[in-house]
Amino acid sequence: MYGLTAISTHNGWAMAFAGALIVFAGLVVLSSVISQLHKVLLFWEKKHPVFKNNHKMPENDEPEEAPGTHVPREFPTDLDETARLYQPLIEELGETFYLSDLYEVAKKNGFPHPHITLTAFREAEILLPYGDGVFGWNPHTENKDKEND
Amino acid sequence: MDLLFQFLTNTGYYLADYRNVIMIVVGFVFLYLGTAKKYEPLLLVPIGFGILVGNIPFFKGFGLGIYENNSVLHYLYFGVTTGLYPSIVFLGLGAMTDFSSLLARPSLMLLGAAAQMGIFFTLLGALALGFLPKEAASIAIIGGADGPTSIFLTAKLAPHLIGPIAIAAYSYMALIPVIQPPIMRLLTNRKERLIRMPELREVSKKERIIFPAVAVILCCFLAPASIPLLGTFFFGNFLKECGVADRLAQTARTAIIDTATILLGLTVGASTQGDVFLTPKSVAIFVLGAVAFSIATASGVIFAKIMNLFLKEKINPLLGAAGVSAVPGSAREVHLVGQSEDPENFLLMHAMACNSSGVIGSAICAGILWSFMVVL
Repeated sequence: MYGLTAISTHNGWAMAFAGALIVFAGLVVLSSVISQLHKVLLFWEKKHPVFKNNHKMPENDEPEEAPGTHVPREFPTDLDETARLYQPLIEELGETFYLSDLYEVAKKNGFPHPHITLTAFREAEILLPYGDGVFGWNPHTENKDKEND
Repeated sequence: MDLLFQFLTNTGYYLADYRNVIMIVVGFVFLYLGTAKKYEPLLLVPIGFGILVGNIPFFKGFGLGIYENNSVLHYLYFGVTTGLYPSIVFLGLGAMTDFSSLLARPSLMLLGAAAQMGIFFTLLGALALGFLPKEAASIAIIGGADGPTSIFLTAKLAPHLIGPIAIAAYSYMALIPVIQPPIMRLLTNRKERLIRMPELREVSKKERIIFPAVAVILCCFLAPASIPLLGTFFFGNFLKECGVADRLAQTARTAIIDTATILLGLTVGASTQGDVFLTPKSVAIFVLGAVAFSIATASGVIFAKIMNLFLKEKINPLLGAAGVSAVPGSAREVHLVGQSEDPENFLLMHAMACNSSGVIGSAICAGILWSFMVVL
């Protein structure tokens, strides 16, 4: 038996339609549940805005900036200018550091798209690889920054 | 002299027929693609070598062939026919998978569901071509682009088709860089391919720990037949995330999955004996497999475009192609196609979210199809 007759005889249309529907329904339910997961956890840990009055939260919710770190509202598009903004973070981390540490610090301080910026730094050789995931700041860039200042 | 003549008539050179030669050539092609072209080498190398081993002609009745009782290969093949190896591979996969990107953007899970449409379209196609329902369901699951899932379902529904279905599934997984990009480009315009995805929120450790426990309940309650795959998959993931069983997680994602992959690949390859494998059905399975995989890719992309009609913040429709469960091949391909248009567009993490939901989706589909066939 072939063709549409075979599909109908073996209940193919119903199987295909019901199968597709069940998979969709299953994954929609799963995605809905996991989309609420972090909210449930916030409730559980009583960090949700509803509970904020019970905790003496500081009026200003913005994260405290590290000393010497200033993230402007309008982030510069120029790479050297961006590098200058990263300078305090580098000083905080020391001469050599892991890229992941710099990423974390940048993220913590609210720098936008740190992974893209760090990739650009690497390509522009502002960040120099020392092997084993350790990186250093290109001193020439630093001097250039200071000259610009 | 008689002894020498008898020995010579028992050698592979004397017993070989053209089907063995064809399959040995196929085996060499697999080895070439795996080693020289580096197309999914962890899969193609064991399978390719298995094809060589399985197609060495031998004197029947010696207990040598994979289909002969008491042969070593037959015992190793037991893990395939019972669905044991796929289950173990899923344990390792779970211990490797990071669901952070999926947890950060759960809506991408819909693309994983959409890409499963290839399975159901192919089910209809296989039935129309005259395959029996159990065979059709086994062929259709190739559209999930998941080798272990295909083998698992075929072992349960149509064990006589394991060889061609496994080879088709793994071949198309290896050929992702060839099959998917043209479909992605055909269905999207440059403007759509340039869409950048916002940075994903940070996911807490607690979310990552709770997810596998919640997901296994929700998915396996819906399709209990997928327990052997999803049960081990989410268990592996829980081992990884709970933080107190690192040794077990490490073993699951290294030694255990590697052992299962080696034995799975070798025995699946060896199951392609020319006389069993080279049939018109195998050719039809390969054609339907290609159709299934292409439809799966296309449905993901098209569904992403449909989602964009309703979303304020548009998603890059290329991500839909990563909804198939070939991890991480299709996610990597989506990322590369995105970067070929805009080198600063990083789609990998979002594509991984679709990819991991594709794994869950195809395992659920396998469970659903198995349940349907039990009812029939």
